[in-house]
Amino acid sequence: MRKTEYPEPIRQLIAQLRQMPGVGPRSAERIALWIIRSRNDHPEQITNAITAARQAVRPCARCGFFATEELCDICADATRAADQLCVVEQATDILPLEKTSAFRGHYHSLGGRISPLDHVAPEDLRIKELIARVEAEKFSEVIFALAADVEGEATTNYLVELLKPTGVTLSRIAHGLPAGGGLESADELTLYQALSGRRQL
Amino acid sequence: MLSDLQLRNVRCFAALSVELGPGFTFFIGANGEGKTSILEGACVLLRLQSQRTSSLAPVVKFGEKSFAVSGRWRSHVMEFRYSALRRRIVFDHAEQRNAQEYLRLGRVVSFANTDIELIRGGSEPRRRYLDFLGSQIDATYRPTLRAYERALRSRNALLKSAQPRPRELAAYDQPLVEHGERLGVSRAILAQRIAPIAAAVHREIAGAEESLSLRLARGNERDFRADLANSRSQELRLRQTVVGPHRDDLELLVDGKPAAQFASEGQQRTAALALKLAQARLFENEEGAPPLLLIDDIFGELDPNRRGALLRNLPAKSQKLVTATLLPSRDIADARVFELRDRQIYRA
Repeated sequence: MRKTEYPEPIRQLIAQLRQMPGVGPRSAERIALWIIRSRNDHPEQITNAITAARQAVRPCARCGFFATEELCDICADATRAADQLCVVEQATDILPLEKTSAFRGHYHSLGGRISPLDHVAPEDLRIKELIARVEAEKFSEVIFALAADVEGEATTNYLVELLKPTGVTLSRIAHGLPAGGGLESADELTLYQALSGRRQL
Repeated sequence: MLSDLQLRNVRCFAALSVELGPGFTFFIGANGEGKTSILEGACVLLRLQSQRTSSLAPVVKFGEKSFAVSGRWRSHVMEFRYSALRRRIVFDHAEQRNAQEYLRLGRVVSFANTDIELIRGGSEPRRRYLDFLGSQIDATYRPTLRAYERALRSRNALLKSAQPRPRELAAYDQPLVEHGERLGVSRAILAQRIAPIAAAVHREIAGAEESLSLRLARGNERDFRADLANSRSQELRLRQTVVGPHRDDLELLVDGKPAAQFASEGQQRTAALALKLAQARLFENEEGAPPLLLIDDIFGELDPNRRGALLRNLPAKSQKLVTATLLPSRDIADARVFELRDRQIYRA
């Protein structure tokens, strides 16, 4: 006997929804049924929002952050410090840094990191653009805020070697203890890094 | 101690649950009944790695996508689920973000008849011996080893590319050297700590007329960075990193001569046993719970003298899980015995 299933359009919808990150078969089914049974136009509003967002948002021509114009809000903001540049792996790394309010300079997103095991080479990243900016924009300091793992370290080293000839001050963010954490709650590797990266007082 | 153990989709078992004794627990059965898999389940539960293989993928039951192991270690509930996409570590019903706290709990020493490879085989089993020991003593050991291996594989991938570019290689030199130096130092300290214990255990088994000594032969010169720079032309020719801790070896001498070439089969078995017993004794001397001992099918391989020596030298307070095809007679009191038949387990 053939098993009864949802009609083809619903199955299609479920299949499409499942492509979204974090949406499994159960969630996809629930969302699909909500869309179909909705008595108001909320599903249409979502459709419109998707279309509008996809048309309006593009990467900032300068830093790679999300933008609706040629330049993003950060790059267009004339009140920001023009002499500091913070280099990050992904555009999504910028907002967490922004929330700290500790940095008022500009950003540059590489769009990834050098990773031979994942077949990502330097030319796959926005490195040429970075060098052009450092040469043109007269920063006094370039700060590297890449991940503290093997690929993050290697990418930082690579960029440091490339940028050394420009004479700009190069620095990297500190690795170590989480704020407000006592020593007893930190794992050994973090403590090790905090010790070896200590600061003179 | 490990008071109970549950396996789901581990090797040949769809589901298995067993309550373990405080001293000896025997698993008796024919070959292929899954005795070793029970020991493996215990090892994976406590150490998140198998004593048999370096990858966990083969532990998954054939045709399944994931496995789970759980159990009660002292007063704690431990649980580990593995699938190709995801690992889940649960400790006292709380999911752990990383393995560090979890791995602090239980320690394992595994004895198997393949231990002879420690003496006879290439350098890899000897590095694994040190790594298995190191990751149970020093919480930074495993992350350092992982980082070193990742840097090494990345660098080797660059060297294998059609046109290796010096600047990219150089970018990976620093993590390779940084993690490699720490790994090398940790291994040298480990070798120094285990050497006198192994020598003492060996004397107790083999008698005073034979001696075992060991030391770490480093896979790079003291200045790793300089050594790496000097090897550049050779690594470009061979398309791989030729110096570093991945070339470390543990040098083993019986009566001052290399054990692999000059020791007899019996001497080699004794030396292998001494290395493993030394691990157990080192844990015993450290603070924390005594280690769980996994003794896989070696009673049959040992002559009565060595078997007696093994039993005398096993840490008294340790819990022991033992597999055998036949129950070793009389010399063990208070053993809990299980029989394995047709993938079922029976309390004997």
